[in-house]
Amino acid sequence: MILVMLSVMARGFVRDRAGLILAFLLPPVVFLVFASVFGSGASGRLDVRAGLYQAATSVQSRRLVTALQQRLSAPIRVYATQDALREAVLDGDVDAGLDLSAHLITDPYPASVVMTSGRRASGEVLSAKVREAVASTLARDLARRDAERLGVFLGLRDDQKRRLATVFSGAGPMTFVAERTLGADDPLVVYYAGAVSILFLMFTAMQGAFSLIDDRRAGLRLRLGLAVGGLAPVLAGRMLWLTALGICQAAALFGVAAAIYHIPLFAALAPWSVTATTAAAASAGIALALAAACSTRAQAQTASTFVILILAAVGGSMAPRFLMPALLQRLGWLTPHAWVITAYQEILWRRIVSPVVFEAWVVLAAFAAVGFALALMLESRRRL
Amino acid sequence: MTAEPAGPVLSVRNAVRRYPGRTALDGVSLSIAAGEVYALIGRNGAGKSTLAKAVVGALALDSGSVRVLGADPVRDREARRRIGVAPQDIALWGHLSIQENLEAFAVLAGVAPSNRSQAVDQALAAAGCADRRGERVDALSGGWRRRANLAAAIVHRPRLLVLDEPTEGLDAETRCALRTLVETLRRHATAVLLISHDAEDVATLADRVGVLEAGRLAAEGTPASLMTSAFAGRQELTVRVDAESSATALILTGFGLTPADGGAWSGLAADALAQARSIDEALRAAGVPVGELIVRHPRIDALIAWASSAPQP
Repeated sequence: MILVMLSVMARGFVRDRAGLILAFLLPPVVFLVFASVFGSGASGRLDVRAGLYQAATSVQSRRLVTALQQRLSAPIRVYATQDALREAVLDGDVDAGLDLSAHLITDPYPASVVMTSGRRASGEVLSAKVREAVASTLARDLARRDAERLGVFLGLRDDQKRRLATVFSGAGPMTFVAERTLGADDPLVVYYAGAVSILFLMFTAMQGAFSLIDDRRAGLRLRLGLAVGGLAPVLAGRMLWLTALGICQAAALFGVAAAIYHIPLFAALAPWSVTATTAAAASAGIALALAAACSTRAQAQTASTFVILILAAVGGSMAPRFLMPALLQRLGWLTPHAWVITAYQEILWRRIVSPVVFEAWVVLAAFAAVGFALALMLESRRRL
Repeated sequence: MTAEPAGPVLSVRNAVRRYPGRTALDGVSLSIAAGEVYALIGRNGAGKSTLAKAVVGALALDSGSVRVLGADPVRDREARRRIGVAPQDIALWGHLSIQENLEAFAVLAGVAPSNRSQAVDQALAAAGCADRRGERVDALSGGWRRRANLAAAIVHRPRLLVLDEPTEGLDAETRCALRTLVETLRRHATAVLLISHDAEDVATLADRVGVLEAGRLAAEGTPASLMTSAFAGRQELTVRVDAESSATALILTGFGLTPADGGAWSGLAADALAQARSIDEALRAAGVPVGELIVRHPRIDALIAWASSAPQP
């Protein structure tokens, strides 16, 4: 009986080509957009479009600009005047600008990074890149300059100054902070794969669950109520179908993520499958409960839009949870989204099946069970 | 297999169902025997649909009882399995073919896998849609959808069939086919609860008629006995005038006639022939040419009109 309902829904879905496209094409496309915006092509690098103004070129400035360009993905745009650079930053043509209007070696502050308050992050990234470039290319020149200044201050003779400069310049590039990268890939790629996946699971499940309202309106519910097993197998069939559809949709999305961003989907297929199944079941349960609670399609559309957007915003499907205030982060645990995203991150980024993954599976299964029970109760009590 | 209990297929006793602000069913009692067609008539909101929902177990009563073959359809799944329902709306999945719909409903109704194919074939043949079994319901015309709707209601060979306006909006040929189907079901001892506003449905099919009024069974009997009690020897008088004016309306309302379909005026009268003569004279005196003046025994549609609209005779 459950399989009959599953088959009825499956045939309806397969015969609806527009629905097929929306269910399987849209989520990967949206994921690719999110991943390329927030994950920067999985490289983990923040792309800063930098502008440059140089009052005069020198051997040192040419070396600095070359080293800086190597550290940026986008080509540096050169502006003829300081004002032109400032305008470009203000207009957003570039994210931040580097103003080299003073002598690189003799001036105490030879470089300025120009930024707007709305793009401080870009300015700070450029500033750090400039420091890195200076440390790697101008270390010897700056050491010689500092030795010269120190020699004057200490009253050294010329030969003593030369020896001091040799000692300073032999120290090599100035390095203070060493970088260590944790995790194999960009966490945001897996983050957004999970976030977009649960967002679209909810959309698809809601649309599928609305057939409950359509059936009610068409009088089918009256006939379905005569089913030998009552409404439970009828609803279970729908639940099973929506879960199966959700798994297929998640597979399509993560398949694209594996193909393009090389996330280790196949190495973690078993825990991924459990996560995808419980996530799809949770979405199906919530969607069925909502459809059962609504009398009309219009009511359900409004309610579902509200529920989907709120859950997505609080649960971390719209913006990364680590950027949220602590209160919202805590509230996020009330949504399936936070659990789904966390479980996928543990499995596919940290590449472990930690206790929190088991916890997520239990919570998602509970969402599914409670949603189904609620849907059954509401639909059984509904006045036809 | 257990033996079926003796007695009526459907038995409703003192059914009461209240909604906020109104009582939809107010102590309705009726019963339908095997092979009997019971027509339920009444104006909109009289409680017909509520009673039908209670009968198919989709609605629990506040008090009273519904028994199908002796069991409560709300609680007893076997009782529900014996019921077929063809709602007024087309209760089929539009994206499936007629055959796919029937197969699905056969499974849901618990038809054994070994009998399923035969049951579907028989229902398709009985409803006259075997030739179109492969067509999607969405693509069918209204008449074929209604046939398919009925086929889905009988695919599991129910003992009680609830039909809600089965011939509404159909052409004469399809109406005739559906009536023939109901006749066939009656011969196979299926009890039929027919909710209809169609005079011909009631006249040709019903063994008994129940008139539901404000949640109460106001009258019940064979069509003939109901006609006698409802009209008590009065006859139906219908007048058509060629040119209608306010003077015409004044004259005709003065004789107790009310506007009817097609520009006619009609009413019931104990001495209809004498009244017809008086109306004719009055209209001629007013210079109104009389197109048609008919005196006849009331038909079943007058009974339905009587049941469907106040005031009652």
